[in-house]
Amino acid sequence: MSERILEVRSLQKSFGAHEVLKNITFSVDAGEVICIIGSSGSGKSTLLRCINYLEEPTGGDILFHGKNVEKEWKRGEFLSKVGMVFQSFNLFANMSVMENCVIGQMRVLGRNRKDAEEKAVYYLEKVGMAPYRAARPGQLSGGQKQRVAIARALCMDPEVLLFDEPTSALDPEMVGEVLSVMKQLAEANLTMLIVTHEMSFARDVADRVIFMDQGVITEDAAPGELFTNPKQPRTREFLSRVISRQL
Amino acid sequence: MVRPTTFFQWVEFLLQQYGSLFLRGTGITLLVAITGTVLGFLLGLLVAIVRTIPVSRKDPWYKRIPLKIAQFLLGMYIEVFRGTPMMVQAMIIYYGAMQYLDLRMPVLVAAVVIVSINTGAYMAEIIRGGIISVDKGQKEAAYAMGLTHWQSMTGVVLPQAVRNIMPSIGNEFVVNIKDSSVLNVISVGELFFMSKSAAGTYLRYFEVFFITGCIYLVLTISITRILRLVEKKMDGKNHYTIYGSQSDSKSSITVADKEEA
Repeated sequence: MSERILEVRSLQKSFGAHEVLKNITFSVDAGEVICIIGSSGSGKSTLLRCINYLEEPTGGDILFHGKNVEKEWKRGEFLSKVGMVFQSFNLFANMSVMENCVIGQMRVLGRNRKDAEEKAVYYLEKVGMAPYRAARPGQLSGGQKQRVAIARALCMDPEVLLFDEPTSALDPEMVGEVLSVMKQLAEANLTMLIVTHEMSFARDVADRVIFMDQGVITEDAAPGELFTNPKQPRTREFLSRVISRQL
Repeated sequence: MVRPTTFFQWVEFLLQQYGSLFLRGTGITLLVAITGTVLGFLLGLLVAIVRTIPVSRKDPWYKRIPLKIAQFLLGMYIEVFRGTPMMVQAMIIYYGAMQYLDLRMPVLVAAVVIVSINTGAYMAEIIRGGIISVDKGQKEAAYAMGLTHWQSMTGVVLPQAVRNIMPSIGNEFVVNIKDSSVLNVISVGELFFMSKSAAGTYLRYFEVFFITGCIYLVLTISITRILRLVEKKMDGKNHYTIYGSQSDSKSSITVADKEEA
């Protein structure tokens, strides 16, 4: 039994009167790859954004290594251990690829430039972007940008990596290159929480798949089970709609 | 010496007679405009940063209330200094300090102070606009990797904001070169003030101010050109190097950008 890294307890989030997340509870073990699926508006992205406090949750607790994030962790330290990859990449537009990978290491983790650059080159090589270290984000394609964004997140040595629809803003022919990088990471036992619409990726790579609907977790199961034998009618309906379209 | 008769003779005569006066006036105008714009920019930066600090209802009162008050006061500052003419501000500050604070400022100091404060009010709004224009995702990415508000501002948001507002900063520069002329009301020896005294002696207003106009035009055009160069520099190179190839890890090639839209 591996260690429990992240625990979400009764998490709630409302925007005004609109309740987006209702009582979300689940946990993540070290090395687990969890895909979160569901139709748009179901609260998947909001859940991810609450976990690293891009949105302040309105209720509930998040525990990291068993300690309450809000009370027992320094916010900056927690954030540096939980990486995030965004749908729209969000590479710093005013910096080169290398600077993007170095700034967090130097300013947050206090590494010196030499170590930071070594680490950056190491991860840029992993995602196949090392040759482009001098380029600026505006000079790259979408798939290249996302691979750099993944390298940037890895440079912080995160314990958990959150992916918010990492391939949704990409041209179809670039989706594959990003997914294959993510698959490599999964094989290297990185703990990942992935909001995605790529059902075949979820089926092939995830250890667990969470299905969300209207702000609640409707189903949480191994992919083999969830995709072949969904228990909830809502899950079944969603899958039949999505999978017939994707395959 | 024969009294000049034609327009060109007058221009030549006045340049010979008052060349050094024009030069000194130009120097003071440039000095006031440059220091005023730079200090105004720094002031505006500070004001804009404070005005864009997010205040959340969850913050403790000792952080929230002073911040709210500071933001309100800075808003007032902007309203007052954008809403009144710089000429009036000059009179109030210069003579106010003299009458009520017993402070006799050297006029040049007063000039720089007035232009800086006035420019600061405009810059604050320009910079705030620049900050807002930077994609929200940039700040989120900075925050998500653990950078503090200050670090993400100085490292990520402000460099992009400042680049975006360079054309507006250029505008302010040009405005300051021209509008420093209103400081003649407190006898700052800038270009307009000097021109007026030069014109008075021979009563040749047209010729003198023709020269003055040319000088202003040269100044503003030069400043605009210089700022364009700065913008280009900020944009970085329009090509980049790719390191290594499949056969040779030490090779590199340089790739030009696509044609900029």
